[in-house]
Amino acid sequence: MMMRPCPREKEVKELVERGHWPVAAETAPELRAHVNDCRSCGELVLVTSAFQKARAEAAAAAKIGSPGVLWWRAQLRRRNEAVERIGRPILGAQIFALAVNLLLAVVFVVWQARHGFAWLSWLEQLPQNATLHLDSQWFDTLWPFALFGSGWNSLLTPMVLIPAAATLALLGGVVVYLASEKQ
Amino acid sequence: MSWESVIPNVFARDAHLDASRAAVPPMDDEAFAGFYERSARSLWAYLARTSGDPALAEDLMQESYVRFLCATLREQGEVAARRYLFRIATNLLRDHWRRPRTTPIEDVPENFFARCGDAAQAESQMMLGPALAQMRPRDRQLLWLAHAEGYSHNEIAEVTGLGSASIRLLLFRARRKIARLLGEEQRGRAL
Repeated sequence: MMMRPCPREKEVKELVERGHWPVAAETAPELRAHVNDCRSCGELVLVTSAFQKARAEAAAAAKIGSPGVLWWRAQLRRRNEAVERIGRPILGAQIFALAVNLLLAVVFVVWQARHGFAWLSWLEQLPQNATLHLDSQWFDTLWPFALFGSGWNSLLTPMVLIPAAATLALLGGVVVYLASEKQ
Repeated sequence: MSWESVIPNVFARDAHLDASRAAVPPMDDEAFAGFYERSARSLWAYLARTSGDPALAEDLMQESYVRFLCATLREQGEVAARRYLFRIATNLLRDHWRRPRTTPIEDVPENFFARCGDAAQAESQMMLGPALAQMRPRDRQLLWLAHAEGYSHNEIAEVTGLGSASIRLLLFRARRKIARLLGEEQRGRAL
């Protein structure tokens, strides 16, 4: 198939698109004769006229809605996209916090396993203390740090305090996030 | 407690994005209303005639405008905005055609078949409808953009994402085919 554009195609197309065809052909018999002879221009007139007519009829039949609704929908979508964009780093932080907490829990369990779960002995003594007498020894067993060893000095080490503080900070962040989200 | 006080850096980044977006300010609601009035009918006509489905055209038209409003324009001016709108619509239509057809007949809206036979569309539909139905979807789009919207090859290339040289060839072939089909239609009516 050979593509041979006619030099008069542009002129004919302009006339048809502006709605001057076939009136223009009546005033210019030479142009009409050319369109009748030239296959390219003949096809152009036929196709463009049909499409222009279809466009005019379809546009007249179109039932278009209110632009306000679309504007509102777009605003809503933009807002949702912005919230989603903001939520991405928060989700990352939540996953990070969860991972750190799990890691700390594992470290704690391993550490306790190495020390033989000494605090479990408290549970064994529980039936004996069922009368809930408030002596100082019993309070000492309830104190969390006492569960890990024999005295305070050995417990207040950076190895315990730093992960505990980090855990509290992360949990605090998650709580603040959840509270602000509910608001 | 607000988000800003918890994570101020995130908003600082958003402010930066908004600043870059401000290079071409988005339309305000009044400007959009005017633009919508001037472009909605021709966009609907494009979508309805190339898809052959007025209900689908309505859905895609609404989605096109919403996406248009959410997007950042690279160029200013109504002509560029209109071209960008047609580009969105063309892509949506293409996505629709690519999707597998699984809609059962029960899910088709009740007014779909009634609207297809609107009297106002009957004349041009009788003339162009059967010919367009025999064309490939992409050819329908190219023909409509070229002969109904009057876009140049470069503009069509921008709207469809195809190369300008390819447009020329594809359009030539499509025009030849539809001219033959329209000619046959005319001759069939004359008899």
